[in-house]
This record gives sequence, structure tokens and C-alpha cells, in this order.
Amino acid sequence: MDIASGLLQGFAVALQPTNVLWCFVGVFLGTIVGIMPGLGPPATIAMLLPLTALMNPAGAMIMLAGIYYGAKYGGSTTSILLNVPGESASVVTCLDGYQLARKGRAGAALGIAAIASFIAGTVGVLGLMLVAPPLARLALAFSSPEYFGLMALGLAMVVLLAGRSLVKALLAMLVGLWIAGIGTDPFSTTSRFTFGRMELLSGIDFVVVAIGVFALGEVLANMEARDEPKALPVPKGLRNLLPTAQDLRDCRFAFVNGSVIGFLIGVLPGAGSTIASFISYGVEKAFSRRRDQFGTGVIEGVAAPEGANNSETGGALVPLLTLGIPGSGTTAILLAALVLWGFKPGPLFIAENPQLFWGLVASMYIGNVILLILNLPLVPLFAQVLRAPAYALYPAIIGLSIVGVYTVSGSLFDLALLAAFGLLGYVMRKLDYPSAPLILGLVLGGAMERALRQSLMMSEGSLSILVSRPLAAAMLSFALLILLIPLVARLNAWRLRVMEEEK
Amino acid sequence: MRIVVMALAVAMAGAAPAHAFKPTRTVEVVVHTGPGGGSDLLARAVATIIEKEKLLPVRMQVVNKTGGGGAVAAAYLAEKAGEQHTIGFFTGVWLTSPLTSAEAKVTLRDLTPVARLVLEPALIAVKADAPYKTLGDFIAAAKQQPGQLKQSGGSVTSRDNVVRQLLQKATGARWAFISFPGGGERIAALLGGHVNMMVLEPAEAGEHIRAGNMRVLAQVSDQRLAGFREVPTLKEAGFDVPAVPQVRGVVAPPGIPAENVAYWEDLFGRLARSASWRKFLADNQFEDGYQDAAELAKFYDEFTARMRAILQEAGIKTVR
Repeated sequence: MDIASGLLQGFAVALQPTNVLWCFVGVFLGTIVGIMPGLGPPATIAMLLPLTALMNPAGAMIMLAGIYYGAKYGGSTTSILLNVPGESASVVTCLDGYQLARKGRAGAALGIAAIASFIAGTVGVLGLMLVAPPLARLALAFSSPEYFGLMALGLAMVVLLAGRSLVKALLAMLVGLWIAGIGTDPFSTTSRFTFGRMELLSGIDFVVVAIGVFALGEVLANMEARDEPKALPVPKGLRNLLPTAQDLRDCRFAFVNGSVIGFLIGVLPGAGSTIASFISYGVEKAFSRRRDQFGTGVIEGVAAPEGANNSETGGALVPLLTLGIPGSGTTAILLAALVLWGFKPGPLFIAENPQLFWGLVASMYIGNVILLILNLPLVPLFAQVLRAPAYALYPAIIGLSIVGVYTVSGSLFDLALLAAFGLLGYVMRKLDYPSAPLILGLVLGGAMERALRQSLMMSEGSLSILVSRPLAAAMLSFALLILLIPLVARLNAWRLRVMEEEK
Repeated sequence: MRIVVMALAVAMAGAAPAHAFKPTRTVEVVVHTGPGGGSDLLARAVATIIEKEKLLPVRMQVVNKTGGGGAVAAAYLAEKAGEQHTIGFFTGVWLTSPLTSAEAKVTLRDLTPVARLVLEPALIAVKADAPYKTLGDFIAAAKQQPGQLKQSGGSVTSRDNVVRQLLQKATGARWAFISFPGGGERIAALLGGHVNMMVLEPAEAGEHIRAGNMRVLAQVSDQRLAGFREVPTLKEAGFDVPAVPQVRGVVAPPGIPAENVAYWEDLFGRLARSASWRKFLADNQFEDGYQDAAELAKFYDEFTARMRAILQEAGIKTVR
């Protein structure tokens, strides 16, 4: 079947009133789940799974997918307003999003997040529709050595996330890598760095570290200020709350970058949206003319990662629907849902169930439009949160952080960890250590370790496997190149100084 | 009159034990995988079937206590000693993790056995364009180039690796085992040609076989499965190794009254006999592995002893 008639058939399914309703329910729930720190789409979809047994499969799939991509929209809200990452994929959004909010541009940041999400989300669906089968085959060419290259490329981003001192950034990254190593060895199931504590066997949840270091660290650092902290400026009037034409122009490249990188990384079953958001932020910064301003509140620093984590959704559905291979917890539940409804997800799924596939694709176009309409009016509303005085805002952030961590694990031990990481975040701020590299190390550490060890198992211990495969070698060389950027910049500065002196 | 009263009392006493306990609020079902993992999906399917067949007066809610290969979930159940509205779904990994991890202090022996539900058989599959037509071909190739062929699978304590260890021991062949924590990654590695063979569940493989991407060499099962009549079992293929199934079942916290155990045993016994459950097993090509609590306790010891021997042979340090 060609794409046009497939899509037409899809819209016929997706535009049925009940399916439009389910689409709305899904994206609405998704937005709420995204805003709430801690509660993520996998848990929500799993909870709703029994209810869908009574529904028409097309409607149910449309709703569950709506939760999945809808959550990516909401995730940025608390990152921008409160420096509390709502989802792991929204951690990078904190870097510039929160700084924008502090400058009184919370509305612009929230607005651009919604617009970037819309554009990238739509591109993701386009990709799913147009290139799914060939791309899925390409994704299969990716194995452990290639994943190692990708993770190395991600880690090289540390150069771009570093503040004034690269050494401090590297140290923070190493701590992140170490934290990623805590828990159970994924291959031999022996325990590592658990100090005999059963609670540490499952490792330290990424959310605990991110919320502790970002949100609590920020609150602690702000509370120290002697003078009565003033409420953050929030401009009046709807027009001043939305992104300006200049903002949109600044984000042109970010929209493309986020959409493409997010989708491509999404297609790989072993990567994920957090990595997608970090890499697109890094790429955005590497190619930016105002590289030095990143981290102080530039609008494209929000647009790129928020776009990437949305188009990732479309990408992640590619291996699920074309091969029956889930790449994450959420897609695994969607796979289980399909089986529960009596479908057989696998290589023949699309050919045998065109209505369901095209109905889903069409509903995702509709869902993204609904999300944009739903989210933009919320921007001014949410921006008002910042009018709250410090004595109300800071306790609220602490409360939200605690609730967020507790929803993830339901364990008091994790709350103690949260406090510890809050203190770590505070100390790092005091000593001028950047916190983003720590999170980067933590996000990539586990996947990188697995990829490296798998590669070495494949080659019986020979490191040459990492460079003898073209894709892996290309990514490793690219990573090396990025690592050399600061060196080149320093040489350049030195050259300029010498030229100056010679004059 | 007195006799009648006594007879009534006896009759009631006879009927009472099974119904002395009845759950009055939502039952918490503890699993050791995150949403989307094998145990999580089985628990949710069981909850759906129990609801559909109206076997339980209250709802079941799945709680994910991930980590440590079941250790965190087992410890959580042990902490809930005496709790009447909590049960857990275990797999073989709950028995093997305490063998390799010093922190995994709670073994299934410390919890209350309720029932064994499922035995998952497995298939040994290769990519469709691989040169191996039979398991014998693969073993012969592995012997020719020791350590060069690769198998993708889960952790070293997983059933995948146990099957490999048993086959290697029986034949003297040797090939590499590459761990992939996610089931999807394992299949992707095989389909991408990065590994040569894998051990996977029939439901996982079915569609790839139908689409012509995979070929099955043998089944890890004592009898041929309904969906794979033409594929030989390990024994039929000429390899006399035990067919290690993946086992799944139900446990309760320690220290609950005997009538509670009886209630859970009765509930899962009725589930195992229900039509929806039969259909679920058939759809997923699972084997009905139902055993009651007494048999289950015996199974623990056999399974643990066999696993300990296998792990030690594989050179993995056991701590218990």
C-alpha cells in the first residue's frame, strides 16, 4: 500500500469521534504525567493496561501512545520553572530553561519548548511513516561497538557542558560514571559499591541524583543569600509571555537538529531519549555562534533537547512496529498491550494490520496539534508560579522534589539519598563545579559499560573491534574531535595574543 | 438436636479453613522487574484474568521493586512478614541471585511458597541465512573455531547461559556468551548478524520465524511444543541435557496464618484451571507448570542445587 492511501485510511480511523476523544484523553494524561516529577509514562501506561482490555484496540493504542509522547511535552515545565527535571529526558532543559526563567523569560522558554516539541514530534511521525522499514534495518547494523562509539560521543559533550574549568567538569563526570557503576553488575549479577546495603542493589535512580543536584542544590544555594530574595520577574501581558519572532529565528537550527537527532537516536533500541536530548544540546552548542552564552539562558538550549526528546518517540516506535523489538520500558508495555489485544507484533505487523498502524500514525499528527493547543495557553498560567515569594516557592520546590522521588521508588532510603545529593549539588555550586557533566556521566555510564564489555566479549578481549567497524570508528573519531575543541580554542587564543604582541 | 448442632458445627468447621481468610482490600503484587519486564507483564496478565474470571473479591495492584536480580523484591516481601494483602511473583532468578550476590540475603526459602504457575520452554534459534540447519551443525562449527561463535542472552545466571553451559559440557564445544540486559537488544543482535545464536521464548520468536528472519534448530523442552511440531527437542537432536525451563510462580510473605496460605493456594489453583488461563498459556506457548505449595518447596531445593553446580562449573563465584 502506498503512503497516501495508507494515511487517508489512517485519518479515517483516527478521526472517528471516539478515537479523537481517546487521543485527547491520552495526550492530556501524558501532559499531567510529564509535569509531575517522578511519575513517568511506563508506570502510567502499565496502570491503565487492564482498562484497555475493554476498549477497541485502535482507540486503546491511540490513547497509550498519546500518554507516551504527551509526557514529553509536560516534562520541560518543572525543569524550566523550578529546576526540577520532570522526566529524565528534561534534565538538559534545566541548564538554559531555568536560567531563562530567572531572567524573566520563563514564558518564552515554556513556549519554545511546546513549539519545538510540536515540530519535532511531527517530524518524528513523518519519519515513522516514510522511512520506518529501511531505517529499522539500518538500526540492526548498530551493535555494541557502535553503541560504545555513540556513548563516547555523548561523553565528549562534557567539553561543551564544562564551565570555566575543563578539569572540574571531567572530575564531575567521573563521579557520575562512578555513581552509574553502583548496584548490581548487569552481566554477572554480583554487587558493586553497595557497602552491604540492600537498597543500593538496584543502583541509584537517575531521578534522585538529578533532582537532588539540580533542584535541592539550587534551593540551598539561594537560601544562603543574606538579603531577602526577591520574587522572579514575570512580565505582564500574554504577548510578553510567549516566544518572540527573534526567539523563533534563533531556534531555526535547533528545531531541525532536535528533530533529526532525536528521531535517529530513537530508532536505536539501546539508546533512549535522555541521550538524545544530551547529544542534540551538545550539537546545538558546538555549532552555535554564541557558544559561550550556553548555560546562561539561551532559547535554543531549550528548543534542541525538548525537540529531540519528542521526535525520539516517533523513532522508538520504528523498531517496535516494524520488528516487534522494544527499546525501552514504555515500548515494552506497548508491545505487551498489542499481544494482550490479540495482535502479533513483529516484522509482518504493519502489512497485516494497516488500519492500526496508519490509524496510530494519523492520530499522532492529531495528538501533536492537540498538545500544542493544550500547552500554549498553559504557559502564562504556569509562568505565574514564579510570582510566588521565596518563602513559599522554595518549600514548594523541596516538597515537589520529595514527592517526585518518593513516587519513583516508594523508599525512604532514596529520600535520604536525595538529601545527600542536594548537599552535593550545593557544595558543587560553592566550589564552582558544573553539575551537568555529573548527570551526563550518570546517564551514559551504564550503557557505555555494557557496550564496551559486550564488544570485548565479541572480540575475545581485543580492543580493535572498537575501531575496525566503520560506524564505530567514525563516531569515536568525531568524539575525539569534540574533545580537541578546547585545545584548539586555547591555541587560537594564544596565537591571537602573540599576534597582538608582535604588532 | 444436639447431634444436628454438632453435625452443623463439624460441617462448618470442615468448610471453614478455605474461607476463613478473605482479602478485604487491594492485594499488592510484588514483581522484581520494571514495567514491561517479563514478571511485570505476567503479573498484569494474571490480574486481568483474575478480574475477568471474578476469582478475587478485591483488585490486584502490581508493585515494581526492581534491582539485584530479584533481591530487592524478595527483601521487600520478607520485610512484610505477616502481611495478609501482599504476594509476590518469583522467577528462577530469585533462586539464583542469592547464590552469587552476598547482599541478596533473602532466599525463596525464607518466604511462604504458594504455587508454581508457568514453565516457559525455549527455542534455540539462528538467523535465517545462517549456514546451520541443525543444532548439530552449530555445535560442529563451534568445535571447529572454539570461542569464535557467539550467543546473545541475559545475565550469566539466566536460563540462556545455563542452556549454553550444559550444551558445552555435553559436547566439548565452546562459544562466547554476550549479555544484553534488554530482551529486544538480544533479538536485534541476532537479526543484525552480530551474534550467531540465541535461546529465546517461543512467543518472542514466532513472528520472526513467520517472516522468514529466523530459523529454529531445537527446542529446550521435554515434549515438542504445539506451535513447533517439526522442530526436534534437545534430546531428539541428540543432546542429552536437561531441558531447563524458566519458572514462574507465586510466594507470600513469611509468617502468615495457614488459612491465608490455603486461600492463595486455592485462588491460584482455580486460576490454573480457568479457561482464560488456558488460552493465555496457549497464546504464549507456555507450559502449565502448576504445582502446589508443598511441591514448590521441594522444587526450590532441586533447582538451587542444580544451579549452584552449573554456576560453579562456569567459574562464577557462589557465596551460598
